[in-house]
Amino acid sequence: MIPVTYRASFSYLLRHPWQLVLSLIGIVIGVAVIVAVDLANSSARKAFLMSMDAITGQATHQVIGGPLGVPESVYADLRVEHGIRQIAPVVDGSISIGGASAQLLGIDLFAEQEIRGFTGDVRSAETDASSLFVDFLVEPGVVTTSEHTARELGLAVGDTLEVSAGGRQHEARLVAVFPDDGNSGLERIVVTDIATAQEWLGQAGWLSRIDARVGDGDADALMRLEAALPDGLQVLSAAGRTRSTADMSRAFMTNLTAMSLLALLVGLFLIFNSVNFSVLQRRGLIGVLRALGLTRRQLLAMILIEAGVIGLVAATFGVVFGVALGEQLLDLVSRTINDLYFRVNVTDVSIEPFSVIKGLVAGVGAALVAAAVPAIEATSYPPQLALTRSTLERRAGRVLPLVTLIGVAGMIAAVILVLISGSDLVAGLTAVFLLILGFALCIPLVVRAASTIGAPLAGKIGGSSARMAVAGVASGLSRTAVAIVALAVAVSATIGVSVMVDSFRGSVSQWLEQTLRADIYTGSLREGAMDPALIEAIRKLDGVETISTRKRASLEDANGRTQLRVFELPPAAFDGFEILDADPAEVWLAWEHADTILVSEPYAYQNQVGAGDRLTLPTDFGPRDFRIAATFQSYDINASAVTMSRATYARHYRDDSIDSLGLYLADSADIDSVIAAVEALSADGPRLYVTSNEGLQTESLRIFDRTFVITDVLYWLTLGVAFIGILSAMVALQLERAREFATLRALGMTPVQVGGMITAQTGVIGLLSGLAAVPLGVVMAYVLIKVINRRAFGWQIDMTVAPDILGVSVLFAIGAALLAGLYPAWRAGQSQPAIAMREE
Amino acid sequence: MKLFLYIGVLLALTPVLADEAAEPPSRLAELLASDAEGFARATEPRDFVFPADHGPHPEFRNEWWYVTGNLDGDRGERFGFELTFFRFSLAPSADPSDSDWRTNQVYIAHLALTDGEDERFLVAQRYSRGALGLAGAEAEPFRVWIDDWRIEEQSSGDWRLKADDNEFGLDLILSASKPPVLNGIDGLSQKSADPGNASYYYSITRLETQGIVRTGNRDYSVSGLAWLDREWSTSALAGNQVGWDWFALQLSDGSDLMFYGLRLDDGSQDPQSGGTFVSTGGIASHLGRSDVEIEVLDTWDSPEGGTYPSRWQLRVPRFGLDLTITPVIADQELFTTVRYWEGAVDVSGSRDGNSIAGRGYVELTGYAR
Repeated sequence: MIPVTYRASFSYLLRHPWQLVLSLIGIVIGVAVIVAVDLANSSARKAFLMSMDAITGQATHQVIGGPLGVPESVYADLRVEHGIRQIAPVVDGSISIGGASAQLLGIDLFAEQEIRGFTGDVRSAETDASSLFVDFLVEPGVVTTSEHTARELGLAVGDTLEVSAGGRQHEARLVAVFPDDGNSGLERIVVTDIATAQEWLGQAGWLSRIDARVGDGDADALMRLEAALPDGLQVLSAAGRTRSTADMSRAFMTNLTAMSLLALLVGLFLIFNSVNFSVLQRRGLIGVLRALGLTRRQLLAMILIEAGVIGLVAATFGVVFGVALGEQLLDLVSRTINDLYFRVNVTDVSIEPFSVIKGLVAGVGAALVAAAVPAIEATSYPPQLALTRSTLERRAGRVLPLVTLIGVAGMIAAVILVLISGSDLVAGLTAVFLLILGFALCIPLVVRAASTIGAPLAGKIGGSSARMAVAGVASGLSRTAVAIVALAVAVSATIGVSVMVDSFRGSVSQWLEQTLRADIYTGSLREGAMDPALIEAIRKLDGVETISTRKRASLEDANGRTQLRVFELPPAAFDGFEILDADPAEVWLAWEHADTILVSEPYAYQNQVGAGDRLTLPTDFGPRDFRIAATFQSYDINASAVTMSRATYARHYRDDSIDSLGLYLADSADIDSVIAAVEALSADGPRLYVTSNEGLQTESLRIFDRTFVITDVLYWLTLGVAFIGILSAMVALQLERAREFATLRALGMTPVQVGGMITAQTGVIGLLSGLAAVPLGVVMAYVLIKVINRRAFGWQIDMTVAPDILGVSVLFAIGAALLAGLYPAWRAGQSQPAIAMREE
Repeated sequence: MKLFLYIGVLLALTPVLADEAAEPPSRLAELLASDAEGFARATEPRDFVFPADHGPHPEFRNEWWYVTGNLDGDRGERFGFELTFFRFSLAPSADPSDSDWRTNQVYIAHLALTDGEDERFLVAQRYSRGALGLAGAEAEPFRVWIDDWRIEEQSSGDWRLKADDNEFGLDLILSASKPPVLNGIDGLSQKSADPGNASYYYSITRLETQGIVRTGNRDYSVSGLAWLDREWSTSALAGNQVGWDWFALQLSDGSDLMFYGLRLDDGSQDPQSGGTFVSTGGIASHLGRSDVEIEVLDTWDSPEGGTYPSRWQLRVPRFGLDLTITPVIADQELFTTVRYWEGAVDVSGSRDGNSIAGRGYVELTGYAR
């Protein structure tokens, strides 16, 4: 049997369903955001790992080469001259099928049995196995995919399809599908013969890598393989490669998680507010129960159980919504990962039990924490005192200095943490939270002061109802403060992130302007080299004075991956590099002749290197030392990179491919007509992008903006939580004061006047929230820019605070509060004074 | 005389793609008989030219280099070996391509070792596309290979045969003691009544062999005699042919005998069955179906299903031969995708009333169930 006290507790909630709903919504949204971000992160990571797993198969090691890959003759030598058998060649790359991106995996079926299982069981509706085999091997353009991928792309066995690869369109035929048995690692992987892959990707003569299977602990086999390889090729552990690739996105994912925690933090204020209010509202009941002999402990248990049950129910809903929301976020997350880090094709959220549990624990825990404070407070009063409202506010007033002190301590701790934690990202994020919490705890004192000082002022301007509206904020501080804090935190987060993104964008834009020196840029889409004949033709075009060339390459050794940018630059382009730690004249003097490199600022920060240091890079002739001539400023969205001159590159790598050009035009030349001429030259070949300097800047910023879409989405969600918070606070506050309003009505105030007073009060709350949010937001932006971004990505960003961001945020806070005040104002105006007064 | 293996090998590839490879032979014969368009056919006798014809004939759909032999170790150990390279054209031609991997040529090799002492039979297999130098065949100097398995001509003119798997391996030098002989009618070997269902077929029936055989960690110094069969065709089997029995025997008087009996689905022997008798001096005589009498003396049940003949009485009255043929060990079945039996045999008997001995290889296909 349920004890009568619990019945009392729950029947109260049932009689006040709106309050129950509002309590629930805060937790639901908070939990949903946490679960969604967690699921999106883990799904993207899992999809990547599974696809690596499927692609790697049984391979324990991979032989990798320089920028172009592994010469295919090496593979034949390993088998024929060295008798090494458990190896398989791979040619892979990105393709797109009807706009959907996919990964092309070119394999040699004869070598596959020992490496990848999934080619072992192909289903085909119409042909028998042997003719399938013959088709796969002999017929150009024959592909297979997993059943699921075929379905998703709307393909059936036997269909022909257009594949875009290496900048050209190719005709493909789907001859068979293999079962995926729920293995999403095979998602969007298109398997074809290695010859077709080389043809499509323009990689004749080269392999992406050689997969090798070495028995566990078979050091001899590994040594034999290593000894058989020419200089410049290395054997790396497959698992290690996968790990270091996956790790590239770790900072990004940590940031996302931090943002989701921020949503919960705001949700926490909301829950606190709801539970607090439901306790306060029942102070009469609690007093009666205490008077009837219920112990403090029993009362505390009652309140906490109530909160726990609400938390659990709400968290369950939150998880459900979180999964749905995660589907939406996943798209954004995977797009960002694709833009910044590595290819990942993921379409479905995979529901991780751990994420679900995290969400449930967070929801219930937050509800309990939020309930604990008011519960302890309510149960600590002598029974008769609990019955009176004024006692409560007196108490709240008494603890205010202590709360404020704790807040100040929190902020000081945040500063100390930033100072002592070096470059640790998690510590940086912890400091952000400490800062927010600390600041939040200081808000109530400020609010009281503001409303105490502001009330007489308001009275002079707007009469007694204005005075009462402002003074009411302070006299109802135990509730209004929480609402103000919730809104202020949410708005400050918006300010912080907006200022950060805005500053970042400003820095990037400025940097682009400085760095992009050529008049026209052109290059191959995606991976792949430009046709040398085409480059020569472009060089000779009328109006083209000189060109710069660029080649992007990825170097890899046991320590991980290094992005390499190879430039052939006319002196006019030198100014495009903002050299940070050396004399530019000396840097450019050594640029082509000595084995020097430049490192981007993020690279320098992440690897703790700078001018004068030496760096060992894998080359086609084995590992070589390079001297870092300087660090240069870079916001290259593709993470950190090492830059070297074409001349230096040519000395160390047997690769003369170029993937993009910068065209410097004569003063008299017309940009549009040169663009048209380049387009005409390349009309028959692989598709190129051709864009003016201005066009490239615009495009770069567009990609930049796209990267921050997810940030925007999360902050809107946070604001949503805050809005619900203020709504529930206002509803609660005004309803609780129904009797007060009824008295005012009875004293002759019209419903419009009462409503107006309430509206004015919510406006004041909004204003105070907005004002409190400004300093917090600016400080948060500073920490995000100087601490978090620096630690996560190594970028140095100049902070610029646009006044309009602050203004809009304050207006938003007021608007949100006013909107939330509409219903309570309307309701208070509607109440019948006689009935409302009788309630006591 | 390894026609059946064309089908076998084609399917040996397919487990890479599918598990449904073990299909009934008749169905495969249909597959083979169909769609020979675009390939060259063996319709009339041709001029064989050596060493050019040791090399590949990619205009034909299938081809093989088939070496079998019997070897003795230093301490009297008894070995038999088989190393076969099959070549297949999957299409009459390959599409032009930038990629060196693009080809219509596929190579497969079977390596088997019969260890008479330990009564063990070891088998290994290799396959590869005939591209990029991973596998291929060349006439001058002669060479056929997949990965590091190979038969290649030495500067001395001898052939070196080298193949190694985890458990066992061979490294042998083969020196022909007789010139190549043309089987069938001047090298055109008719396999069924349909014109074009024939192959070009020659053999070197006696190659002095010495070298090393390895099993596990043990190397054996060996010597003995090997036999080379070379055959290429586009289609050969008729739908009603279920398999064949092939005998390659090297006798103590220096003469050699090859005979294949094509079995029909009604249990009878196809009239196109035939063989070649090679005298001590290397003179070849064609044997027709009626020249040879074979009687099965014993059978062996494969643990995997199917009953193979396992001992024979073989008579060639034209040359006064009456031979008893006994497998060195009963189980010499190859577990490649299509199972077949290919094993070393001992020969005893008489020629013109004088006692004679010998050794050889027998191949039995179409018995596995």
